[in-house]
Amino acid sequence: MSLLTMTGVSKRYGGVRALDGASFELEAGEVHGLLGPNGSGKSTLNKVLAGTVNPDAATIVLDGRPVEIRGPRDAAARGIAAVYQQLSLVDSMTVGQNLVLGVEPSRAGFVSNRASAAEIDAVLERMRRGLGPGVTAGTEVSGLSPGQQQLVEIAKAVLRKPRILILDEATASLHRDQVNLVFEIVRELTAAGTCVVFTSHRLEEVRTICDRATILRTGRTVATVTVAETTESELVRVMVGDVAQPERRTATPSTDEVVLRVRNLSAPGVHGIDLDVHRGEILGLGGLQGQGQSELLLALFGATATPSGEIDVNGRRVTNSSVVRATGNGFALVPGDRGSQGLFMQRSIQENLSIVSLRRRLLAALGISMRKERTVAEDAVQRLRIKIGGLDDPVTTLSGGNAQKIVIAKWLLNEPAVVLLDDPTKGVDISAKAEIYSIIRELSSAGVAVILNSSDDVELAELCDRVVVLYEGRVRTHLVGDEITSENLVSAALLIGEGDQGTVEEQPAAADGGAR
Amino acid sequence: MSAVPATTDRTAARLRQAARNPVVIASLIAIALVVVGQLVSPGFGSYNQIISMLRIASFLGIIAIGQTIVILSGGDGIDLSVGKVATLGAIIGARVMDGTDANLAGGILIPLVVGAAIGLVNGLGIVYLRIPPFVMTLGMLGVVQGIILAYTGGTAAGRAAPFLTELVNTRWLLGAPGVLFLWVLLIVVVTLVLRRTRPGWNLYAVGSNRTAARLSGIRVNATVIGAYVASGVCAVLAGLALLGYTESVFLNLADDYTLPSIAAVVIGGTLIAGGVGGYLGSAIGAVVLSVLQSLLTTLNMPESHRTIVNGVILLALLALYGRQRKLRS
Repeated sequence: MSLLTMTGVSKRYGGVRALDGASFELEAGEVHGLLGPNGSGKSTLNKVLAGTVNPDAATIVLDGRPVEIRGPRDAAARGIAAVYQQLSLVDSMTVGQNLVLGVEPSRAGFVSNRASAAEIDAVLERMRRGLGPGVTAGTEVSGLSPGQQQLVEIAKAVLRKPRILILDEATASLHRDQVNLVFEIVRELTAAGTCVVFTSHRLEEVRTICDRATILRTGRTVATVTVAETTESELVRVMVGDVAQPERRTATPSTDEVVLRVRNLSAPGVHGIDLDVHRGEILGLGGLQGQGQSELLLALFGATATPSGEIDVNGRRVTNSSVVRATGNGFALVPGDRGSQGLFMQRSIQENLSIVSLRRRLLAALGISMRKERTVAEDAVQRLRIKIGGLDDPVTTLSGGNAQKIVIAKWLLNEPAVVLLDDPTKGVDISAKAEIYSIIRELSSAGVAVILNSSDDVELAELCDRVVVLYEGRVRTHLVGDEITSENLVSAALLIGEGDQGTVEEQPAAADGGAR
Repeated sequence: MSAVPATTDRTAARLRQAARNPVVIASLIAIALVVVGQLVSPGFGSYNQIISMLRIASFLGIIAIGQTIVILSGGDGIDLSVGKVATLGAIIGARVMDGTDANLAGGILIPLVVGAAIGLVNGLGIVYLRIPPFVMTLGMLGVVQGIILAYTGGTAAGRAAPFLTELVNTRWLLGAPGVLFLWVLLIVVVTLVLRRTRPGWNLYAVGSNRTAARLSGIRVNATVIGAYVASGVCAVLAGLALLGYTESVFLNLADDYTLPSIAAVVIGGTLIAGGVGGYLGSAIGAVVLSVLQSLLTTLNMPESHRTIVNGVILLALLALYGRQRKLRS
């Protein structure tokens, strides 16, 4: 009998189906991988199990009895513990205090430290090889490296003696030795009957530690496989499915003229990036989400601290040390989260459209002519076919697609030479998506250098002339023209088929551990 | 569908919208207070009495210019040092003017520069040292108090220039003193700056969403610092107007204006979180508070009761505005 089964798990975020009747089954003592491309619902499924996301529908059977998991405390009470890539430790407290946070043994309402000290020391000792010699229960967490903190986070979960341990990208910031240590601990736990749900962008790790794997695609479970019996190309085929190859854009006559040239760009989260964008070309950024794509765009845009490297626009060296300078150099960024990064929610559509390019239309370098602002705003609304009530309405009145078009339009009014788009069609309905595609194509045809990060492989295949696939903040693979298929994108994102596929050209591999 | 009901519908909708506009609500409250005053004590609503109340309101109103700008800039923006800075401005002004019009220019410019400098320090501390505005400006209040004591040695000296006194105390046009016309001019200029210039639009953008503002190429830090400088300057301007009113200075001349300046901004409908609002509302808020003060004085209400009534009315208005925002969204 299986330890846990989840069936019919569905979750919608607005118009987006994160999970659409997914199912999942765990047996005691196994390590079970969750695999799938971007947006397949791995994280959401993990969070439903951990109680941090309330599903719209789900049947969960634990030990043969139907249960409901209403929150993290509920999950903990049923022996479910989760570790994520995002750290949840309290910086200002010690390692020991963090380890027992929320389950402190108490005597008459007061925290009693003595009872837990032995257990804490034991688990820290077990982690010693990864933590290094200096870390004790009394060490303050703020002084630890991200890798050490991640290990403490794992120790905290282990200390709760869970029956089901979820490791969701919990090894992402760890060195190889630390990963091996975690795997040893995982094997000890499973030998004792615990079952581990494991998610990692490093396919190699999944193949090393997992017995079985469940593969998700667009929120549905498509297969559960025994990992040792499945080849990598089979995995990719199941993950991608039999999708019709999208119609590719008619290839623009590719010119040798380089509009944007980037050499050796490094910033927090990205390392030594080289890029060339030719005139009339759309360059895609692929790979699993969170491998440095957004960070790369922010670094190009001067929005992250201390980027280093060279950027040339039309042969002219530019220094994007701040957003103000990047904007002046003709750069535009449509950020990944339009609500928190792109829009001024309480302000009018008019102001949102005008704000970036006001400088171009001022009277006496100061005054705003409402007549001019109206004219350009109405023009942009028409050109991008944005559906609005009136220019004075707040942007909150708009749907996701139209709101995103406002963000794009405000930059177009500034006539940029380089447009950086960070997942611009996320949470956008299909018709708006098609319109955004045509806007992007028009930009590119007009000679604007376009870099498009997308979590949607089909979108990359449909729009891009070339795609660079990022892995842990570095360029791992270039795909050009007809090589840009969903299969190649997934293979490249998971580093499958290194060397044996002629079409996938390898970049020098980076030493692991540097990225987080 | 015939056109007539559509028109009345639209009129009704416009009326409903007006009834939810804080500026309209505050104006109605001000008028209602005058009417009540007139009923309780005939003569309260006379032209001269109203002009006199508006003159008193102008001091608070001018301080509230800076407070409005600071609150609009968001990031928990607030300036608790305005009252003290106004006092310092009046003290410096009085000493420099020393009762003669010959020193008028210096007596206005020097305090304004000092006010700008204090605002600059506030802004720099908030932006670069990341001190929360509440704490930074509260600390500045203490520092300015110290400066006042050091500068005066405990007794304020000097007098307002006659021109200044005349500007505030002498009826000039339509029975109103010059300071009222100055205030009206400031209302127009400040509103224009906020609504029709790039710094104004940038201020709203920064107050509405700092991340989006930064990613739109707006100089967020400069905008925030500029807001606090404007606050220091406006506080001094109000201090000088008060100096004209009282002719000589006291060490706590404008200290009690800090909290009312925040109240005026809030009554005027500016969102305390920033990004939404305007100065006309704050100006009317200043009028409401001044008329209320006069009314309570007329009613011979003791100081303690007046303070309580003030507080209760402010809370009631806040609750009303908050409820409406929720209903709208």
